[in-house]
Amino acid sequence: MSAFSFLNPGFLWALPLASIPILIHFLSRRRLPEIRFPTVMFLRTLEPREIRRLKLRELLLLILRTLALILIVCAFARPSVEPKGASTRAAAAVAVILDDSESMGAMDEQARPRIEGARDRGLLIVDAARSGDEIAVTTTTGADAPLSNRSEDRVRLDRTVRQIQTSWLPGSMEKALERARRFLGRTTLRSRELYLIGDFQASGFTREAREKLALVARSGARVYLLPVVGSRVPNHAIEDLDPELRPGPQGKGLEMRARMANHADAPTDRLVVRARRADALIGGGDVSLLPDESRWASLPIDWRAGAQNASVTATDLGAKAPVVVESDVDALAADDRRFAVLGAPRRLRVLRVVESRDGAPAPRFAALALDPSQDGSGGYSVEAGTPASLLSINHGRYDVVMLEDIASLSGDAEARVRSFLREGGGVVIALGPHADLDYYGQRLFPGLIDLAIEGTERAAEGQSFELRARVPADPILEGLTLKVGSPLTQSHLTAFARGRTTSSRAEAVVATTGGLPILVSGPRVAVFLGSLSDDWGDLPYSGAFVPLVRGMVDHAARTASPEGLDQALVGHPPAARLDVAPSGSVTVRGPESYRSQATVLSDGSGFRAVADAPATVPGFYVFEAAGREAATVAVNPDPIESDLNPIPLDSLKTGPLPPRAILTASSLRTHLHDTRQGRELWLPFLVLAGLCLAAELWVGTARIAAS
Amino acid sequence: MARTSQRLLDPHFVSKLARLDLRARLVVDGFLTGLHRSPYHGFSVEFAEHRQYMPGDPLRHLDWKVLAKSDRKYLKQYEEETNLRATLLIDTSASMGYSSHGLSKLDYARQLAASLAYLMLRQNDAVGMFAFAGGQGELIPPRSTPSHLRQMLVLLERLEARGGTDFAASLHALAERVKQRGLVIILSDLLDDPERIAGAIHHFRHRKHEVLVFHVLDPQETAFTFEREAVYVDLESGDRVTTRPQELRGDYRTRVREWIETIRGFCVEKQADYVSITTDTPYDRALIEYLSKRARLL
Repeated sequence: MSAFSFLNPGFLWALPLASIPILIHFLSRRRLPEIRFPTVMFLRTLEPREIRRLKLRELLLLILRTLALILIVCAFARPSVEPKGASTRAAAAVAVILDDSESMGAMDEQARPRIEGARDRGLLIVDAARSGDEIAVTTTTGADAPLSNRSEDRVRLDRTVRQIQTSWLPGSMEKALERARRFLGRTTLRSRELYLIGDFQASGFTREAREKLALVARSGARVYLLPVVGSRVPNHAIEDLDPELRPGPQGKGLEMRARMANHADAPTDRLVVRARRADALIGGGDVSLLPDESRWASLPIDWRAGAQNASVTATDLGAKAPVVVESDVDALAADDRRFAVLGAPRRLRVLRVVESRDGAPAPRFAALALDPSQDGSGGYSVEAGTPASLLSINHGRYDVVMLEDIASLSGDAEARVRSFLREGGGVVIALGPHADLDYYGQRLFPGLIDLAIEGTERAAEGQSFELRARVPADPILEGLTLKVGSPLTQSHLTAFARGRTTSSRAEAVVATTGGLPILVSGPRVAVFLGSLSDDWGDLPYSGAFVPLVRGMVDHAARTASPEGLDQALVGHPPAARLDVAPSGSVTVRGPESYRSQATVLSDGSGFRAVADAPATVPGFYVFEAAGREAATVAVNPDPIESDLNPIPLDSLKTGPLPPRAILTASSLRTHLHDTRQGRELWLPFLVLAGLCLAAELWVGTARIAAS
Repeated sequence: MARTSQRLLDPHFVSKLARLDLRARLVVDGFLTGLHRSPYHGFSVEFAEHRQYMPGDPLRHLDWKVLAKSDRKYLKQYEEETNLRATLLIDTSASMGYSSHGLSKLDYARQLAASLAYLMLRQNDAVGMFAFAGGQGELIPPRSTPSHLRQMLVLLERLEARGGTDFAASLHALAERVKQRGLVIILSDLLDDPERIAGAIHHFRHRKHEVLVFHVLDPQETAFTFEREAVYVDLESGDRVTTRPQELRGDYRTRVREWIETIRGFCVEKQADYVSITTDTPYDRALIEYLSKRARLL
């Protein structure tokens, strides 16, 4: 039931003004002038039939004038009606989630940072709070506990919202929604609202975040989405830097690699990239990218330029050096600069775990793909081992462990593999005809990679499966020139394990005919659901085999991890490998007065120092022991924010959201006004008054015009 | 010259002059001056004198004998021979006192009557006057002596608009009293029953009189341009009607137009000449109508 009320009832004292037309009407009748006229016989003949119409018309005019005045007075008294279902009069618990992730630093349609528009919306909500309202403000990169206040502390809330800036820290919409849900769940107020302000990047709305949003909506809270942008903004980004220097074309000079991405519907035209060492320009080039293309670009460099020590030569690459790579600034400046500590190519140390069966040695296809000359010159040194070897692995000795057609692991070996992963190592798992699929699906994969195994898929007699690329330009497929959906190789598989990813953290990079995943990647883990031997097909004999195996190993070794070394992300503690045990405490210095103590751990082959405090901004973090530099690591933001493409908001409305859940800046004002003070009706009242006056004018002049 | 004569025929200009005799003379002189260029020149029949020919004078009055003898161009001027007896009937009812712009219908009728009387006497016609209202009237029998004009002007000066019209009764009474046939000129707003007006005219016609009706109205009576709602009071009956002019204007004008056409129709039917004039109409219009009528009669 809608309730009607006046917001300025004091104006209703002016209602007696509505009697003015009535008074004028009667007074003017009483004081009619007399006009002496030769004869009234012509008037008298007209009078009887006119008089009734005149009286009726006068009454109508009187009603219209009086009604117009009543409506005008009422309009000044600001009539309002409480929308059906709204609880205008009741206090409300309001949770505000303000996206302060890196992408909110991009410009909006008004050429100002998106965060400003988000703050404006947040301030509108805070300012609209009434006495008794409870308000909680949180950000996607914010602390676990949201700021919660009664509306009386308006100044503090207002200041809090004004101070919100974009953060380099990794944001989590899911966690922010959980904080809001907890806040709304604790309140005793019946009216509960959640306002979600941001650019609604697709990367922020994972399946878990969507589920959390639906959970909030189902709890009875009204959810409102406040996008600050309406469409995709073109943006290019430096997504990654290969920390290893490589020989240049035909073995001449050196080059470094930068992974460039073009998040746009149009190609880039010769995007300029520059590499600096200290303040000196050491190299660069230009890169042209297709729409939505992401690929590694080689940049020739002069390694000696900018070197602090002039005696350093091009071949003396053992000493790593901090390098900054920049591109022209566009919509989002945060991803146009990236830091790396570059040095000599790292030789990946791979422990290949195989089992000999019936006395026969295990096939060595994968080993030959990685290190064909068996001297480590190809960038990989492969060591063969058995499942028992896993009991002694550590990240100090191996970078990647490759399990190849292993039936199952003992509990200790399995625990050691998990520990190896936590230390920052990578794992490549290739199944095969001897693998116990139940063991992998139910015991090993949980906690390792979100992949469920459902049995073995075998081709019919005379039939086979093709491998098809599924993810565009995935680093695992780097050595292959492929488009999405194109066959990976001419070879065919006769069988493979049928698997299914169970979260977005695992991604099917390659699929078979029919769309079943065959190569799945996760953080520091790659799983090949077929066989790397020739017992499930002829893949080892194809040209795609070597790039595929190396791609998986590179992926497992390269994938940035919170605890990884040399390449760290903002929001995580910087960590560095120390070759010798430091004497005394290790301190870490970073940009913007960052300073932290570090904890030193021994991992068998060396020492690892991990800062106590997380890095807050990108840059170089220097580990110092006894006043001397022990190591330098680069910290960068997560490039996941670079694609400035909002999700279709309607896709979020599949749950029980209110019908008008998507609010623009202007509709937010109306919404807040309507829900806090009721829907004001002064404009309809004024329009009605205007119609009354127009009708009065028409009725009054129609007869004159006819005359 | 022509502009001056026009001014002398303008009712508003003439009404500013004090003396009625002077006004009458000015009107007639102004009228005749303008008439020099008009086709109405020369209504007399008896030669009086010669006048030198002026360019523009009609050649039909040129004295050819004098031209043949002396080679000089002279026009023959004629003196009129009168046989016309005219009686001016002036309505002095209360409604004739109405004025919307300073000159009442009675003022207009008074001036027009004086001008007509002056013109008639200049043409040696016998002219009389009958001022009537409320079924009664005062009659000055027609004479053609110059001193007669003063008597009529005195009567005109003291006329006042009062009482009802009872047009028919007054005219019937007069028709019985005027034995010798002649021209009857009626100056009235004719605010009476058209049937009765027609009856009175018929009475005159029956007595072999020629009738010329000047229907004198105020412009406001036909246009009815009042704006405000008001109480309209009948000048004769005192009846009151409250109305809004803007509501009724269209219908009112239609009614008045129909009323005028009815009276005109009756006049045509009774073979009386009918001239509708308003108080802002120049006097020459009425004088021309009179002269036209006189020319037809002689």
